[in-house]
Amino acid sequence: MGAIRPDIASQMVDLCSALLLLTCFAIVAQRRLSACVDLFALQSVFLAVTAALVAFLTGIHHIYIAALLTVIIKVIVIPRILKKVIERLNVTRELVLNVNIPSSLLICGALVILAFYITQPIISLGFLLTKDSLAIALAIVLIGFFTMIARKKAVTQVVGFLVIENGLFLGATAAAYGMPLIVELGVFFDVLVAGLIIGIFTHRLQDTFDSVDTSKLTELRE
Amino acid sequence: MLQFFLLIALVGYGLGIFLPLLAHRRPHVQNVLAHGGALLGAVGGVVVGVMGLAADSPFVFSLPSTLPLLSYAIRLDPLSAFFVLVISLVGVAVSVFALGYVREFYGRHSIGALGALYNAFLFSMTLVVLADDGFFFLVVWEIMSLVSYFLVVTEHEKAETRYAGFFYLIMTHVGTAFIIVTYLVFYQQAGSFSFEAFRNLSEPLPQALQSVAFVAALIGFGTKAGIVPLHVWLPYAHPAAPSHVSALMSGVMIKTAIYGMIRVYFDFLGGEFPWWWGFVILTVGAVSALLGVMYALMEHDLKSLLAYHSVENIGIILMGIGAGMIFQSYGLTHLAALGLLAGLYHTINHAVFKGLLFLGAGSLLYATHTRNMEEYGGLIRRMPWTAVFFLIGAVSIAALPPSNGFVSEWLTFQSLFLSFQIPDPLIKIMLPIGAAMLAFTGVLALACFAKAFGISFLAMPRSSHARNAREVPVAMRVGMAVLAVVCVLLGVAPMVVVPAIDWVTTPLVGASIADKVLAEGGLALMPMGVGFASISTPVLGILLALLAPVALLMAVVIGGRLRKRFYKTWGCGITLKPRMEYTATGFAQPIKQVFSTIYRPTVKLETELLEESRYFAKRMRFETHIEPVFQKYLYDPIVRGLNAVADRLRVIQAGSLQLYLSYIFVTLLILLLWVR
Amino acid sequence: MIESALVVLGQAVAALLVSPFVVGVIRKVKARLQCRRGATVFQPYYDLFKLFRKEVVVSTSTSWIFTATPYVLFASTLAASLLVPIFLSQVPFSFAGDVITVVYLLALGTFFLILAGLDAGSAFGGMGSSREAIVASLTEPAMILSIFAVGLTAGSTNLSTIVHKTALMQGIVTDPPPHLMALAALFIVTLAETGRVPVDNPATHLELTMIHEAMVLEYSGRYLALVEWASALKLLLFLTLLSNIFAPWGIATEAEPSRMALGLAVWLGKVSGLAVVIGVIESMFAKLRLFRVTDLLGVAFILSLLAVVFFYILRV
Repeated sequence: MGAIRPDIASQMVDLCSALLLLTCFAIVAQRRLSACVDLFALQSVFLAVTAALVAFLTGIHHIYIAALLTVIIKVIVIPRILKKVIERLNVTRELVLNVNIPSSLLICGALVILAFYITQPIISLGFLLTKDSLAIALAIVLIGFFTMIARKKAVTQVVGFLVIENGLFLGATAAAYGMPLIVELGVFFDVLVAGLIIGIFTHRLQDTFDSVDTSKLTELRE
Repeated sequence: MLQFFLLIALVGYGLGIFLPLLAHRRPHVQNVLAHGGALLGAVGGVVVGVMGLAADSPFVFSLPSTLPLLSYAIRLDPLSAFFVLVISLVGVAVSVFALGYVREFYGRHSIGALGALYNAFLFSMTLVVLADDGFFFLVVWEIMSLVSYFLVVTEHEKAETRYAGFFYLIMTHVGTAFIIVTYLVFYQQAGSFSFEAFRNLSEPLPQALQSVAFVAALIGFGTKAGIVPLHVWLPYAHPAAPSHVSALMSGVMIKTAIYGMIRVYFDFLGGEFPWWWGFVILTVGAVSALLGVMYALMEHDLKSLLAYHSVENIGIILMGIGAGMIFQSYGLTHLAALGLLAGLYHTINHAVFKGLLFLGAGSLLYATHTRNMEEYGGLIRRMPWTAVFFLIGAVSIAALPPSNGFVSEWLTFQSLFLSFQIPDPLIKIMLPIGAAMLAFTGVLALACFAKAFGISFLAMPRSSHARNAREVPVAMRVGMAVLAVVCVLLGVAPMVVVPAIDWVTTPLVGASIADKVLAEGGLALMPMGVGFASISTPVLGILLALLAPVALLMAVVIGGRLRKRFYKTWGCGITLKPRMEYTATGFAQPIKQVFSTIYRPTVKLETELLEESRYFAKRMRFETHIEPVFQKYLYDPIVRGLNAVADRLRVIQAGSLQLYLSYIFVTLLILLLWVR
Repeated sequence: MIESALVVLGQAVAALLVSPFVVGVIRKVKARLQCRRGATVFQPYYDLFKLFRKEVVVSTSTSWIFTATPYVLFASTLAASLLVPIFLSQVPFSFAGDVITVVYLLALGTFFLILAGLDAGSAFGGMGSSREAIVASLTEPAMILSIFAVGLTAGSTNLSTIVHKTALMQGIVTDPPPHLMALAALFIVTLAETGRVPVDNPATHLELTMIHEAMVLEYSGRYLALVEWASALKLLLFLTLLSNIFAPWGIATEAEPSRMALGLAVWLGKVSGLAVVIGVIESMFAKLRLFRVTDLLGVAFILSLLAVVFFYILRV
């Protein structure tokens, strides 16, 4: 742990995870698709910083690798794919939402409190310096889920999915100082493949329905 | 001494009930007799309340009755005394007001009946808070409900009044049924309906039964208080009644329900309850407060608007009480006392300013013969006194400093904020959210009363009703003035009110906080004395009163003598007509738009175009409604269900006398066999 | 006693004298960013002086409410400024009201301003009043919650205590996330409450966009001067709140003349800095459509709520 006092270290982790959560809210409040993707990239940056911070503080080196992979895949590759998709689709904003923005924000606020309430007994048992982040991680997962429900456009749903993944990663780091490296590699690969597949799926959606509104999929039932 | 004044109070009301009935067909005599009696009774009541608050031990009195289980027992402890004071205080002002107001009804309705019912109403409300016996309580409670029903349907020639009355009658009886359940729970343990027995149960009620009593009391009293979603009758019934009765119903009658809740929760159950009780009360309060004010904003009938504000303020009162209950269940008795103090302070404040506002609305109705705000306008010049009184009421209900509403809302805020002392983290977070909802409620109330006052009293008259309005008679003005003065006093003199209410709450929660709350020699309020926060409305009042002249002085020093020119308002080059003014609907439009999730507004626009040119409209018709969510999704299904059941049950109602007799016969036989 | 009176007087004078300057700074910054030279930062003083001396035109359809409002507004805003620590952390009037009182005192002014907007009977005034009502009602919860979040750390909602404790470096270092979120929330609230872009545009007189300006459209002469001065005071009050609650460094923690002089100088620097920030924001962003303002204020509310939640999350 070196020269940094544990309480300060813990606070730095807290601050980073707080910023992670705030970017979630920014995504929920944002209507512009490309801005959503940018915010996701920003969130991944914060995630990488958090992970690197934890790696530095605990001296567990394989978390560095995970942080690096986060930067490569979630900050660079996936946002690029999504930006391409957005460009081709010619939709810049999401005008019709299932839940309007102020209500979404309020619901997400409630989700944070819920996450806090659920994890609170676990947190008070914990001894790791990252223990506070567990509530935030769960909150991020829940908000990601909610984003997928509240939004109609395929692109934002992808972003929601990726946000869930970020939350899980943070949770793993917070609860157990990260998963074994091999598992993390697998997860990253999965995410990348999922990103690609959903990108292709969105194209197909656009070709078939002339829209990326996933509620159009209901027309497929016959 | 106390007995004497209590006797005066009851005799005053009694005279008010019987004397007017003797003076047949002489409305003026009836009016004076009825409201003179009521005034006598109410003044007696005020003295009783004050003396009861000052007394060292409760005053107890009881008469046996011929009925089993019933005894006419009354007990005047500080809690009862406080509510007697609230009832009588408003009663005094309203009785004076009524002297002028009921002239409106001369020749149209029986003043004797109206006056007698009015007195019976005050009489029964006073007895409700005095009763010391469950059975007796239910009897006077029922009298209160029935009398108020008859008062609501005073103008029974109007169909909507009859509907309102019917709605009220049903709801209040559903409520009474639940109160009976509450008392039966206690009865089966105590073996008697006496409150004394309820208070000192030989062994405490099992947890499950306690919760039954809690829920039944919440629904039963909540129906009368008008908590969401049981509030639906309130915006119908309160406006339908004559205005002075509305003032009593909205200002005072719903407070008897608050009394009932405090009596049951803190007195009978001894203030020992699980945390979720307080949490439920707090949530119900917060939701009622917010929805109440939101629906009020959409109302353009001044009296319905005020009725919805009663829902809001009952919510605020319950937030204080709920916070107190939560603290109580964690053993934080001082904070519990603070929450209860906030709730009771708001109770008396709301009684006074809501009474005042309803009297103001009554004056407007008297002067213009309409309740529709869109037909008012410019009344501040025709009715200057009413305008000032209404403004005082509006500032108080909007909780602007240094008014009384501000003091009690501030205390509620503090009791919510001090939640950080509670060990449970979930509650710690929820209570500040309650505070945010309270803040939201407060500002929406401000917006609503800015609308109510601005549209009604300011700008140009919007109809011939408003153009021809005249200031109301002296008696009505005096009635309003009394309440306006009390309003101001309650605001700038919390150092008198807080110890008095503390005296009420001390026996209920077992902790006295008056000396802790009053700081700086009584000038400031500082909850718990921990330096968390403090206010001083007297100082704020003085500050405001001094700084306004400072501004004037500055303007004179810098600008010299005032040169003033009067000119008509600029109307973009055309003469401004009342039709171009902003309407109440227009004022509330952005709020309706923003919260369309809650309001679910429907808009209908019909345009008839000219045949010659499709660019010009001949006639346009705009209609907008908000969806009555609770009625549509909660009450209508229940009513449909009941109707369906009733249809099924019709089979046994064959209409034959012999059949009915045989029902009775069989029942009798079964009962006889059962009790053998 | 005399010392307290002098401090109160000093606060009142400082607030009154500095408030037009802040408005001047914002205008200057905007002008420079638009490649104009712009008027001097002291222009608002000249404007006020000129307005005070001008003849007053009063609409014939108004009542005494219209005449009284400027004085009520001015008095309530000035009273609120006396409750806020400016150069001394423990203000003499702190016992008279906490932050809730400040909020409600400002609301008193808003209430009368809304009434005055309706009083003249013109549709502009009504429109402004109606919009002011919705904006005010959406900002208040965020404001109360955000300051409460800070108050939790300081253990008080009395502004003096908050500022005093934070100034003695108790608090701010222990929980940065709640403080930062509350700061962001309060900043948005500031923009909304003081009628700044992106919520309102103080420079516009176009009926589709104006809020505050529409309400005070009928005012002229010394009444307008008082109203303008009061809104400048309100702006200064919010900037003071932002700077002294979140960065009370340099404020005098005891009533010593030299310390207070330093506190005054530092405060002047801080509010001017914030004024520059607001000027930059006004130049960077476009005004939001009225019904998109709710999104922004929703964000402010959520931020303040998260600030409270985080205070507890990080404390279990």
